[in-house]
Amino acid sequence: MKLAYYPGCTLHGTAREYDASTKAVCKAAGIELTEIDDWNCCGALEAIFDKELSMGLSARNNFKAQKTGLDLVVPCSICSHNLSRADKAMKTDSAFRAKIEKALGEKYTGVKIKHLLDVVVNDLGTEALATKFKKSLNGIKAVPYYGCLLIRPSEVCKFDNPENPTSLDNIIKATGAECLPFTQKTKCCGGNLLMSKQDYAFILTKKLFDEAKAAGANCIVVACPMCHMLLDGQQGMIEKAHNTVIDMPVLYFTQLIGLAMGLGEKELELDKNMVSTSKLIASIGKEKPPEKKAEAKIATAVEAEAAQ
Amino acid sequence: MIKSTDLDPDFKYEISKEPGGENIKKCFNCTGCTVGCPVTEIDKSYNPRMILRKAILGMRKEVLSDESLWLCASCYICYERCPQDVKITEVIGAIRAIAQREAKAGKIKLDNPKPLFDHLFIDSVRKNGKWYEAGVSGTFMLRTKGIGGAIGYAPMGFELWKKGKLNILPHTIKGKDELKRICKEVEK
Repeated sequence: MKLAYYPGCTLHGTAREYDASTKAVCKAAGIELTEIDDWNCCGALEAIFDKELSMGLSARNNFKAQKTGLDLVVPCSICSHNLSRADKAMKTDSAFRAKIEKALGEKYTGVKIKHLLDVVVNDLGTEALATKFKKSLNGIKAVPYYGCLLIRPSEVCKFDNPENPTSLDNIIKATGAECLPFTQKTKCCGGNLLMSKQDYAFILTKKLFDEAKAAGANCIVVACPMCHMLLDGQQGMIEKAHNTVIDMPVLYFTQLIGLAMGLGEKELELDKNMVSTSKLIASIGKEKPPEKKAEAKIATAVEAEAAQ
Repeated sequence: MIKSTDLDPDFKYEISKEPGGENIKKCFNCTGCTVGCPVTEIDKSYNPRMILRKAILGMRKEVLSDESLWLCASCYICYERCPQDVKITEVIGAIRAIAQREAKAGKIKLDNPKPLFDHLFIDSVRKNGKWYEAGVSGTFMLRTKGIGGAIGYAPMGFELWKKGKLNILPHTIKGKDELKRICKEVEK
């Protein structure tokens, strides 16, 4: 599979481990990525005060991708949202399209934009992916965290259920790690308020940690650099602000897949995560695979009740 | 008490002319946006239903100068669930655009630092083609929290830099002229 690749600003900065693990995993899975030439920032959520400017910034990248003749894969949920939205507007809003075509002196024919998680789960497929796995990640007890723009609004990201997504769940299960139920999976981390209303952002993220801990998780799996910035990058600040200890590693789903593929920790840049991942990695294989103890217990209880 | 003579019945039309604000008049105030809102969950003074209702009633000044307008985290839960397809997240963006213009014209005062961050961010993208994280965050901290506040973030910045995650200088693109032309077209 050959795809055009738009990393976005964070993957060349604070989310460099997402870039590294994406490239490593795609290579191992037989996906050839070609970074699009001279891409620019999508405007993130900071151009919300000017919708056309926001979409205009993204549209330039879609033109660049169009030149490759390939589908475009985007690992960041915010970039993926913005580029998809711009593509939709270019196809449906002729006035907007005319402005951008005039500015760039080119015609737009459209490009298929996909989040990396969509490509892995739907184009590659978890079964095909699992054939590349070299070890089971039992010992890792993960909660899947989807956040916002990966799955919402469904008019631009159509690949999973916006209220109860399962793509990350399926990947976690395929690696042999335990996937725990997580009621906060689609809640907001408050990332967009980090700079302007930090205390609220921290309360929102703290709720995710509380729930993940209550579920018995020893790690959180994400597919967005903004979620990762809050959960991993800001974890120390949240501990300080709430006078507590969280100590919860947060992996990009590509890092999790890479571990199951037997790729090296350096290659996956697991040392670049702000919260240490070494204890988590040491726990791999130290536990017997879960024997569906809980389910068995419930079944016995139900049988006992039925017998009464 | 609100006098009907103080209301601006054209406010809803003003919002609907703003890109993103087109669907505001579809709102029938069912409160679906507010019950699912993660920000409302932690601060009841943020109430998207009330913002929409006030806007439709024409309470222009009150809506535009309401501090809570800047608390939306753009998580799109309300946008997804709205039965009337009001596209609330974008309507909030449209109202913010009007509020910023009013503030620029000196008609209202905005205390929330969100618009400052948004503008520093977008200006850096306009200038370089890419987001200049260190520069934007540093300037924002200095302007909102002063030297002391900015220094408070230095240890974290240093940790990021040690891991090779913070670029001291901005990344730039070659096609800055293309970006300039796009900005000129959409901002006419």
